[in-house]
Amino acid sequence: MKKVVVTLVIIGVVLILFLSLGPFYVLNEGQQAVVIRFGEIVASTNKAGLHLKSPAVDNVVTYSHKILSWDGDPSLIPTMENQFIWVDATARWRIADPVMFYGRLTTMTQAYSRLDDIIESTIKTVISRSPLREAVRSTNIINDRPGAAVPTDTAQGQDLEGIQELASLTTTQAKQPDVAKGRRALSNEMLAAAKALTPEFGIELIDIVIRQIRYSDELTESVYNRMVAERNQIAQASRSYGEGRKQRWLGQMENEKRAILSEAYATSEELRGQADAKAAQIYSAAYRQSPRFFEFWRAMESYRKTLPQFNKTLSTDMDYFRFLYSATGR
Amino acid sequence: MQESQFRIPKLPFTLKPRTIVLIIIAIVALVIVGGSFFVVDQTQEAVVLRLGKFNRTLGPGLHWKMPLGLEKNYNVPTQVIQNMSFGFRTESAGVNTVYSKLDYSEESTMLTGDLNIVDVQWTIQYRITDARAWLFHVDNQQKTVRDISQSVINMLVGDRAILEVMGEQRSTIEFQGQEEMNKIFNSYGLGLTVTTVKLRNIVPPSGAVKDAFEDVNRATQDMNRLINEGKEAFNKEIPKARGEAEQIIEQAKGYASERVNRSTGDVARFKDVLTQYNAEPDTTRTRLYYEMVESVFQNKTGEDLIDKNFTNFIPLMNLENKKPATPTAAVQGGN
Repeated sequence: MKKVVVTLVIIGVVLILFLSLGPFYVLNEGQQAVVIRFGEIVASTNKAGLHLKSPAVDNVVTYSHKILSWDGDPSLIPTMENQFIWVDATARWRIADPVMFYGRLTTMTQAYSRLDDIIESTIKTVISRSPLREAVRSTNIINDRPGAAVPTDTAQGQDLEGIQELASLTTTQAKQPDVAKGRRALSNEMLAAAKALTPEFGIELIDIVIRQIRYSDELTESVYNRMVAERNQIAQASRSYGEGRKQRWLGQMENEKRAILSEAYATSEELRGQADAKAAQIYSAAYRQSPRFFEFWRAMESYRKTLPQFNKTLSTDMDYFRFLYSATGR
Repeated sequence: MQESQFRIPKLPFTLKPRTIVLIIIAIVALVIVGGSFFVVDQTQEAVVLRLGKFNRTLGPGLHWKMPLGLEKNYNVPTQVIQNMSFGFRTESAGVNTVYSKLDYSEESTMLTGDLNIVDVQWTIQYRITDARAWLFHVDNQQKTVRDISQSVINMLVGDRAILEVMGEQRSTIEFQGQEEMNKIFNSYGLGLTVTTVKLRNIVPPSGAVKDAFEDVNRATQDMNRLINEGKEAFNKEIPKARGEAEQIIEQAKGYASERVNRSTGDVARFKDVLTQYNAEPDTTRTRLYYEMVESVFQNKTGEDLIDKNFTNFIPLMNLENKKPATPTAAVQGGN
């Protein structure tokens, strides 16, 4: 029994001693390693699993074999028009050659500081030789849908002409200048320029993407002012358009009112005229039969109507008083 | 070991040292083996590495791995739809979700294609579809997802005019954003699929700019109000004017009927009298004359009668009471 225990202990101790000298190393998935013996690289691998090394003398340095992120601070860069913008970019890279990487950089800190230099300077170069629009836009699709300054549904119930009139008032610079390259191409340019510099560090750059572009603070203020002015202009146009339409309705109202009433006047006068003519015809057809009697008759009728209104002082000279002074008449 | 014999003398069997060693070994073995069981939740998938090398992927359930660190398991939530928000954060989700009051404008401020500034908040939802790729292909996965999502949305917004972004192009951006993100993540072999991109608030920068945008909406309302006021005035006056026109015409028609009827009546009377007159001209004429005079004077009193020989008569009339509009005439009878 004692023998068994002793044997087990001895085996255990030897095993621990042997293992502590490190004849193996384990490489996880997503890792790669270089084996260094007395300062000299003797092996490198990116295969996961159990690997052998010389105990005691070999030193294993592991690096990530995954895609790594680089995230620089946003930097203030002038564009070709000398407008200052904040450009915030990120990049993805990997250690493509661990031997080279160990030789040139050794640590990740070193690697990041070198990447900072390379990527930031290429971003600066590319951005500063392009107009702002090239960095902001990727394509020219903005010009495929021009003149949407006023959403069409706002001019509810208006005729097409009215909408067009309003749109033409409010559209501001309907066509944007075309971009020659665009953001995607600029990113590729940056990548191409930076990529050329990294293989000597054992680094492969996978992409550089612009995460965000912002105006510098002073520029932001003036852009805000421009946006406000632009909106005010549109608001003003809408109000004035509405005012104009109102006046037009009022004018149309005046016009139609006058037209309707004057038309009615014309019709009524015509009707009256026709009636007058007809009456005249009726009268003259009858009176023609005896003009002499008509004169007398008409006079009688007329006296009946008009005389009661006069203040009258009668003279005996009247025919009526013929028998007043004499029974036989004058 | 002696102690235990003293302490528990009533044990029905004696413990020899050999037995005790065996028991200890058994217990150690049991602990090692027992500790190498692990549970994979229904929402998860487990990737097992043997000595660092990928060995197998396991579904939900109870599983065993080799002990002593020979095999390691990594559980990855592959069924869970995960959320990531940009430009805002949810503080506590619930019936009344609370959003963080902090400002995340450094994420949400963007330039549009017409070089305006807009504030865009959005969320993405994604699911890990390949646990092995998720674990071992890309470092710092969450940050990579954030970076790419921001970059894609920035690019899509940068390609469009501000009003388009705020309006009609919203769903296009969501759709293209999802497509573009998946394309990039696939190229990295990230083992992840973006299931949804949802734009939340797209607003102009707060303050004066936002006010100006809102003023445009108000102006549109004003415009429609003014137009409606114009229409109202029109509708108030025109139907009334149409009625007035009809009234004028009706009145004229009435006049016409009256005129014709009166003339017809007048003429009928004239004709009848004329027939009489033709039969007896002298007496009829005289009769008519007297009838006229009677009808004019019979109801009046107080007229002056002057002899025809009073040539220089000045009528003495009550001038004070006389109305100026009333015509005055000294009726001179003729022969």
